[in-house]
Amino acid sequence: MEDLLEDTVLIQLRINGKYHELEISPSVSLLDLLRDELNFKGTHMGCMTGHCGACTVMINGKTAKSCITLASTLSNVDITTIEGLSDEEGNLSPLQESFWNTAGFQCGYCAPGMLFLTKELLEDNPNPTDDEIKTALEGTLCRCTGYQSLIRAVKDAAENISASKS
Amino acid sequence: MSLYPQFAKPNTTEQASQLLSGLSTGAVIIAGGQEIMPSVNYGHLMPSVYVDINSLKDLVGINFENNELSIGALTVHRDIQNNELVKEHVPLLSYAAQWVGGGWQVHNRGTIGGNIVSMHPLYDIIPSLLILDAEVEIISAAGTNRVSISDLLNDTSHGLGSKSILSKIIIKPMSKSLGWAYEKLKITSGGYGSANSAAIVETKNSKIISLRVSVGAVSPLPVDISSSLSSLIGNEWNDSLNDIITSKCSSLFDDALSDQQGDDQWRRSMASVMAIRSIKAALKKIE
Repeated sequence: MEDLLEDTVLIQLRINGKYHELEISPSVSLLDLLRDELNFKGTHMGCMTGHCGACTVMINGKTAKSCITLASTLSNVDITTIEGLSDEEGNLSPLQESFWNTAGFQCGYCAPGMLFLTKELLEDNPNPTDDEIKTALEGTLCRCTGYQSLIRAVKDAAENISASKS
Repeated sequence: MSLYPQFAKPNTTEQASQLLSGLSTGAVIIAGGQEIMPSVNYGHLMPSVYVDINSLKDLVGINFENNELSIGALTVHRDIQNNELVKEHVPLLSYAAQWVGGGWQVHNRGTIGGNIVSMHPLYDIIPSLLILDAEVEIISAAGTNRVSISDLLNDTSHGLGSKSILSKIIIKPMSKSLGWAYEKLKITSGGYGSANSAAIVETKNSKIISLRVSVGAVSPLPVDISSSLSSLIGNEWNDSLNDIITSKCSSLFDDALSDQQGDDQWRRSMASVMAIRSIKAALKKIE
């Protein structure tokens, strides 16, 4: 069975719609791969323990913390980083516009977590209550403690996205 | 033997168990990675080989057959929360899974198998499995075994880094007439609890006729305290039962934890508080 052992791992990822084939070290985290190898610096490094959520990305449409995701266990998956939320010209998505227009963020370090959790929430629940928003955002910490602003921004995003679809 | 970590992705459980049996103790099984990666990032764990079990189809899926619910070890917490079979047959487990820490990001990748084998004292799944009398299927090069979750907890050779693979969790369905609850002492549901308790009760003419209670996050492992509370059977709930539970719990947790979530003396007190809360909440479900 030792022939199963590999020193490097070949993985295929579609990141923000673009195909990547990469030969990586078995122990590299998805966060390090995105930031150091592929230059997606919008995915922030925070705690490296999975508590803060600043490193959040979407894997196959579901939020995940990239610092505690081993990149070598991923292959043939779609990854969206925060750079993939805006369009190719850099125009903000309706979700991002809401956070911008309502001053949802203070420093913005938690932006990947807050934006992707809001995206995942609103895809299943377009009109969430305050409690549902709080539950959805639990996986990301705002060190500025600006949670009221974040809830306001999520509500605005719910309206903004509903309006953009109608 | 490489100086750097190696990687293997077996395609079958036979391949995986044979591979594990031939590897040194530095090999770790990885699926979602939510338990292992924080330790790797901080250098507390330096695996020699990562054995990725995500391709093992035997570990996938939730099925109800022969009056048993079978949950594959690779099932993530989000699926346990939302799966209709789990909600129908073991609603206690579905509810408890909502309290797993780390938020949706961890719920989307963390697996029930990883949660169990990590045997973390503060985690939210095992207290419910204990009082549901859940069993687990373990695969190794020596064959497949089915053991109770309580036996698994007492056998340290099944933890992280072992040569066995937890393949599925098997649970008998809960009767619809039962009351159940999971209570966690924590300001938010997003993190570690300072104490927790799961309870399942059955009543007849308002009197308790069966009672199962477990307490977690107090001792190094969750504890089934049902037998210690047997004197509650036959009683209608009243406030004097609080004193019985408090008295029984006071002698059950000599090995209580002391950490940032609370010291041992406080933890011991909270054990009875959470047991009372879970029993009362379970009774309320029957009303």
